[in-house]
Amino acid sequence: MSAGRGGTPTLRQRHDGWPWLVLQLVLAGTLLLLFLLPLYALFTYASPSEIWQAATNAAVGEAIWLTLFASGLAVLAAVIFAIPLGYLLGRRSFRGRSVVESIVALPVAVPHLLVGLGLFLLVIPGTPLYRLTQSIGFPVYDTIWGVVLVMIFVSAPYTVLASDLAFRAIDPRVLEAARSLGAGPANAFLTVSLPLALRGIVAGLLLTWARAVSEIGGILILAYTVYPGGPYTGPPTSTVSVLVYDLFSSGNLQGAAAVSTVFLLIAFALFLLVRVGERTGWVPWRRGELLP
Amino acid sequence: MTSWSVTGLESDLERFHLGPIDLDLAPGRVVAVLGNSGAGKTTLLRTLAGFLPARAGAIRRDGVDLTVAPPERRRLGYVPQGLGLFPHRTVERNVSYPLEMRAVLDWKRRTRALLERFDLVRLADRRPARLSGGEMQRVALARALAAQPELLLWDEPWQALDVEARHALDLVFEELRATERVPVVLVTHDPALAFSAADTFLVLRAGRAHRVADAATLLAHPLDAFTARFVGYANVVDPPTLAAAAPGTLYAWLAARAGPEGVAFARPTLEPGGSGAWSGVIRTVHPTPEGIALSLRVDGALVAARSLPPSGGALPAAGAAVRFDVPEGSVHPLG
Repeated sequence: MSAGRGGTPTLRQRHDGWPWLVLQLVLAGTLLLLFLLPLYALFTYASPSEIWQAATNAAVGEAIWLTLFASGLAVLAAVIFAIPLGYLLGRRSFRGRSVVESIVALPVAVPHLLVGLGLFLLVIPGTPLYRLTQSIGFPVYDTIWGVVLVMIFVSAPYTVLASDLAFRAIDPRVLEAARSLGAGPANAFLTVSLPLALRGIVAGLLLTWARAVSEIGGILILAYTVYPGGPYTGPPTSTVSVLVYDLFSSGNLQGAAAVSTVFLLIAFALFLLVRVGERTGWVPWRRGELLP
Repeated sequence: MTSWSVTGLESDLERFHLGPIDLDLAPGRVVAVLGNSGAGKTTLLRTLAGFLPARAGAIRRDGVDLTVAPPERRRLGYVPQGLGLFPHRTVERNVSYPLEMRAVLDWKRRTRALLERFDLVRLADRRPARLSGGEMQRVALARALAAQPELLLWDEPWQALDVEARHALDLVFEELRATERVPVVLVTHDPALAFSAADTFLVLRAGRAHRVADAATLLAHPLDAFTARFVGYANVVDPPTLAAAAPGTLYAWLAARAGPEGVAFARPTLEPGGSGAWSGVIRTVHPTPEGIALSLRVDGALVAARSLPPSGGALPAAGAAVRFDVPEGSVHPLG
């Protein structure tokens, strides 16, 4: 429902009085300003020609490709593993549920250098996991798989939490109606639970993606430099976050700002695309039904 | 035509225990399940529908045991409280859902027929959120019938409907009873609906089947305060009030006719002449199509009474002293 047509009233339609509206605008505006000012600084620090150079530079391109591809895999992993966990938490009661919920919240809460260190200790040469990952062709240390692993660790909880809430919000009587009308458990999930939870799940997946692309702490330890291997075949590179950190620590402020600007534009465009899709209704989670 | 039998059915929901329940559901029979909040009405429906496991007893359809069958195999139309419409599907796709689930080939034609029958064609493309209460009820009923159920379970069907919508749904329900011959179990708080729709009443009390009776039996022998109030006895007097009655008063007279849970009696009718064994003072006056409903103060307590509509005369006035009789036959012991 669009704003102002029986749904959420627009700012003008509210009859709450001016002081209340002004207070809301001032507080919300302060936060928006905090979001925008550093971006403004980034966008204006590097000249347009430097930004263009960064955008067309092969090394920067590889870093962006690596970051987008690895974060895409992290989102895929969240779809496969995090949604079922969210469903389990949202729709079933079981012993030890609070423990599971705490475990899920842990990656969000701990400093990510710790995450990198923990994963590093798990997969360094000599450990069983090192031998396993080597033997099945998924070496982790300084490879794209390491990047993906860290990204999944830090970002999947957002999808778990969002799906948990989304599945929990479904009226159980709607599901009971579906079952009594002839749907088996799997059919009821696909035709009722999933479509109804989809918007919440997608919101979680967007957060997962955002968290994955912005990760640096764990990657610094587990995959600072990414060597060719697996789906990555280019020259040694690193994620955008590590690349910017490198440029900054070597004193190349213009370069760091230029790369950041390029990546921000890409990320902003992706988010905008999703939001516009939701507004216009061509994305399935907006329509509410998976099938047209 | 299928008939169902429920024998010794018991189930548990956390600490609540339901049963044992025995019910015979012949084709076309409508059973109203009555009871206080927490008596187990919804629990019974959910156990019949297969959402709560039966701890003991059996549910049989034409002799076939369905006690442990999953809900989708029971072939019943379950309309939960709140209706359980799919908010993400249009009216048409709500109604077509059971046909899609059973992969019925001519689902489009059959959906269309149901939409026409329940006057939903012009609403076919709407989502449930944009329907009125009565329209939602019709969608729920059409959807339940699309499943070609052999038993209809309906939790609070007339809940939160305005007068017009209730009347419209009454007619739909009448037609349904005449054409479908499907046994129905409905849970309701609404005596008017229960008496207009049901032929058998199952009174639940703390999870147990307190009574199974037809309407006439229930009226003649309400047995407990809840049932008495439900079937329309305006005067239900509890044991403490009876015990405190002074000799020679109406309440002392009622105490002699009471059971362990008190006594119920119908509204006494005030005669125009003003004679009768008992006296009271009019407290409130409410004209209704069936006469004037009065509340009288009698010996420190309230008695609901009625008087015939005045033929051109004035309404009885509050504060006026009146005399009335309580016919022996209208008094029923409880408990």
